[in-house]
Amino acid sequence: MKKIATIVVLVLTASIAFIGCDNKRETGKIYMPDMAYSRAYETYAQRDSAAFTTDATAKGAKIYYDNNPVQGTIKRGELFPYTLPNDSNGYKMSATVMNPIAAMTEAQMKEAGRLFNINCAICHGEKGAGNGPIATAGKIGGIANLTLEAYVKMTDGTMFHSLTYGKNNMGSYASQLSRDQRWMVIKYVRSLQPKPATEAAAAVSDTTKKI
Amino acid sequence: MSRYRTIINKALASLLVVLLISFNNAVFAADGEALFKANCSNCHKPDADYTGPALKGWSDREPSKEWIYKWVANPAQMIATDAYAKALFEKWKPTVMTAFSNLKKEEVDAIMKYVDDYTPPVATAAANGSSSEGEGSDNSLLYGILTLTLAVVAFILLQVNSNLRKLSDEKEGVDRGEPVPFYRNKTYIMALILLLFVIGGYFVVNGAMGLGRQKNYQPVQPIYYSHKVHAGTNQISCLYCHGSAQDSKHSGIPSVNVCMNCHMAIKEYKGDPIITEDGKTLDANAEIQKLYQYAGWNPDTKQYNADNNKDGVPDGAKPIPWVRIHNLPDHVYFNHSQHVKVGKQQCQTCHGNIQEMPEVYQFTDLSMGWCVNCHRETKVDFYNKESKEGNKFYSIYEKFHNDIKNHKMDSVTVEKIGGTECQKCHY
Repeated sequence: MKKIATIVVLVLTASIAFIGCDNKRETGKIYMPDMAYSRAYETYAQRDSAAFTTDATAKGAKIYYDNNPVQGTIKRGELFPYTLPNDSNGYKMSATVMNPIAAMTEAQMKEAGRLFNINCAICHGEKGAGNGPIATAGKIGGIANLTLEAYVKMTDGTMFHSLTYGKNNMGSYASQLSRDQRWMVIKYVRSLQPKPATEAAAAVSDTTKKI
Repeated sequence: MSRYRTIINKALASLLVVLLISFNNAVFAADGEALFKANCSNCHKPDADYTGPALKGWSDREPSKEWIYKWVANPAQMIATDAYAKALFEKWKPTVMTAFSNLKKEEVDAIMKYVDDYTPPVATAAANGSSSEGEGSDNSLLYGILTLTLAVVAFILLQVNSNLRKLSDEKEGVDRGEPVPFYRNKTYIMALILLLFVIGGYFVVNGAMGLGRQKNYQPVQPIYYSHKVHAGTNQISCLYCHGSAQDSKHSGIPSVNVCMNCHMAIKEYKGDPIITEDGKTLDANAEIQKLYQYAGWNPDTKQYNADNNKDGVPDGAKPIPWVRIHNLPDHVYFNHSQHVKVGKQQCQTCHGNIQEMPEVYQFTDLSMGWCVNCHRETKVDFYNKESKEGNKFYSIYEKFHNDIKNHKMDSVTVEKIGGTECQKCHY
């Protein structure tokens, strides 16, 4: 009888202990923490400030952790860095930079459209007419209508410069789109724009030739 | 009679005149608005400084109307020749206003009238309230009360039964001795112990399973960032900020520059009031100011702080110490890109209706049972040769199948299905 009573009391206290710690602001309890927490440093894990430092001047005393990639290195398969500086001179010179992508395959176009809809359409609209949800709600002014003549005339290089460094109210998209993806998106924007008069005329004459 | 008629006629005529004038005005104002939006709104707001100065009170501020016409037609020339224009440029440089030589004087007048009459639209404080609270709540309370009532009834019936038996015993003259009171009755005590054991056991098992799981975990974040406002109201794609979910193991937390893509321009919150979990109304503008602190951005000069200490970021800028909510134990490998890009899963499948959460909480328990359940039910999207869509990875199985059928091979080794790939064991 006594044994049973002890078991019951134990079970009850255990259950109360488990129910007692139910606070949504806390992570709750864990068992076997050595299996739950990684010993190796994981992405977003807190660095041990006793062993690591991000301050270059404290190099030597602690292990210096540099957040930046090693100078002069690029990601595999990534295009070479864009070297024009972020100033008015660089902006002017960007007009001469050529788009390394000559023509896009159907799959590339689809992917570029997807990237455009994620990153650009929120302001510029799905058709590039400057009427995305943020623009129509009037939250950010001065959103470019990419189908206007000024943007049809703008060279790919200048667009790339603006995407890389930002322009007026637009921020830099260098951290969200790789160089390759930026050039692809520019090609996609071209597909949304009306054809320039000369090109359209050429296309018409082409078809007439065929006939 | 004729007198009345003249009065009526006069009244009608004046009404017509008033109508015409007001109608004309409306057209005029709308024109100004359209012109403003088409030409000026890229850099100017009527009531607030932007890339260029606020335009309200424009016509009174500048030297003369003629000056304004000239300025609009050719700002660059004005800066070179006119002292007032030069002072203006000094204040707003390096941006020079674009020349609008195509705008006629009447059109400039219309724009001036529009900006001077401009009143900001009043935010509709639609307090939608939480009306659905309590609705459709689970019936466990009802069942509990019912069980309790039935137990009491059973207990009373048992007591009545024993009393009746006692009465009949007395009547028949059978002496059974003093009856044992119910709290010393072994049957009752055993039943109680069993009941307590079952209830206690239930909570112990549940509690033990909950160890290390954090369903509904909703930590206080350094900035009150509302996914409801960003992903819900403003319809920003999840991948805009968490783009690495499609490319890597982790769904990255956006760096502060991604926030600043929009918040360089959006300085204040104008939507419906946000009520926090504690029931207070949130000062959303203060939260945006916190972001500027972390970004090292000065909203008044609209520039990042100078980098005097040469650490590559503006002075005072530091990463936002967001609190991680979803956390898998170290012994589980989970890859976002496999699920988002290859498996084509929606974010909401695992994270719940994020676009309706003002403060994010963990929607699922992220237990192994929950993972496995989804893997049991989700169909693999095999490559379809006709539509050229689907996952080509599994087409090799089809090849093996055909090869065995055509006697090109007799069996498939583990190596053939990727068994010697390093990542099978080492990741």
